Amino acid sequence: MSLVNYATREITCKIVYYGPGRSGKTTNLHYIYGQVPDDRKGKMVSLATQTDRTLFFDFLPLDLGQISGFTTKFQLYTVPGQVYYQTTRKLVLQGADGVVFVADSQKRQLEENVESLQDLHHNLAEQGVDARTVPLVLQYNKQDLPAELVHSTADLSDALNFRGVPEFSADALHGPGVFETLRSISELVLKRLSAGASAGAGAR
Amino acid sequence: MKIAAVESWVEQPLQSFVDDARVRIALLLHPSGQVVAQAGFTRRMDVMTACALAAASHATSRELGRYVDGKPFRGLHYAGPDKQLFLGTIDTRAGGFICLTVFDDESSLGLVRMYFEDFSRDLAAAAPAATETGTPVLAVDFEADLNKNLAMLFGRGGDVIIRNA
Repeated sequence: MSLVNYATREITCKIVYYGPGRSGKTTNLHYIYGQVPDDRKGKMVSLATQTDRTLFFDFLPLDLGQISGFTTKFQLYTVPGQVYYQTTRKLVLQGADGVVFVADSQKRQLEENVESLQDLHHNLAEQGVDARTVPLVLQYNKQDLPAELVHSTADLSDALNFRGVPEFSADALHGPGVFETLRSISELVLKRLSAGASAGAGAR
Repeated sequence: MKIAAVESWVEQPLQSFVDDARVRIALLLHPSGQVVAQAGFTRRMDVMTACALAAASHATSRELGRYVDGKPFRGLHYAGPDKQLFLGTIDTRAGGFICLTVFDDESSLGLVRMYFEDFSRDLAAAAPAATETGTPVLAVDFEADLNKNLAMLFGRGGDVIIRNA
């Protein structure tokens, strides 16, 4: 649910990075955090285990600047990917305006990608949200790994992108594809706002 | 203490609560982590980060309550050496809200809880019915602004698009 404050002309949107464990969701946020100037980002918060696996979420507030006269702020969240953090994923997904699904391109991870995508649809449905209406972007991460270890983007597209949503090849550790993914989900979320589809209960 | 609110109808109830309970910080938010109103925040503390953490803490204590007691916990209190924290939920016809308050020895848990009950009642009375507005917010040509700002954020453009449906 995007929050629109007409008095201060401010929009706040929530973007959730979803995907299986170790697919690179936190790495996406770290890369963004490292690239964005200090005055355009807040503190990155990571609730992680001692081994740096996401326990609850990572959170990064971003100031996108003025868009159509509105100061536009994005809250980027990641969910913990491990199967046993199902409850936590549901909680973080609440009120998401858009979802980036970060798939792990490694061949041995294909099943985990499919399960995680099903889990996303299931969790949205549980919250009464039709997954087809939520802005979604797919990112095929770790495409920098040797070709024999990873599926091609065409194969991943066949397996995961049955909705025909925007999709991006990425190497989140070094940056390629990270910016493009963020740009695409930002555009989809704001397009919904420009169409009047998601200025929800908070709009006044 | 001055209230900054996204929703104007929350201002008066929150102002009364802040004044009566003598809290240092008050933050009203949606369970999804979106800020609705705040009082007492300084530049040192980021409101959005506080919202994300408060929403997480609220969600966790609710689930913990369900797990150990069969029903969700509705409040949480933490007593630090100098400051205390109280997190409570408020149900209104405009939806559920979370309120995070921080107070010191100018107030007490009893006082905060007492006035929180009044605040909950006042907020519920002031709340409008939940509505889904269908009004377009942004101009149709917002994409130029978006691309300009994102390029500025990252200091570049980029074209790794495989397919843009």
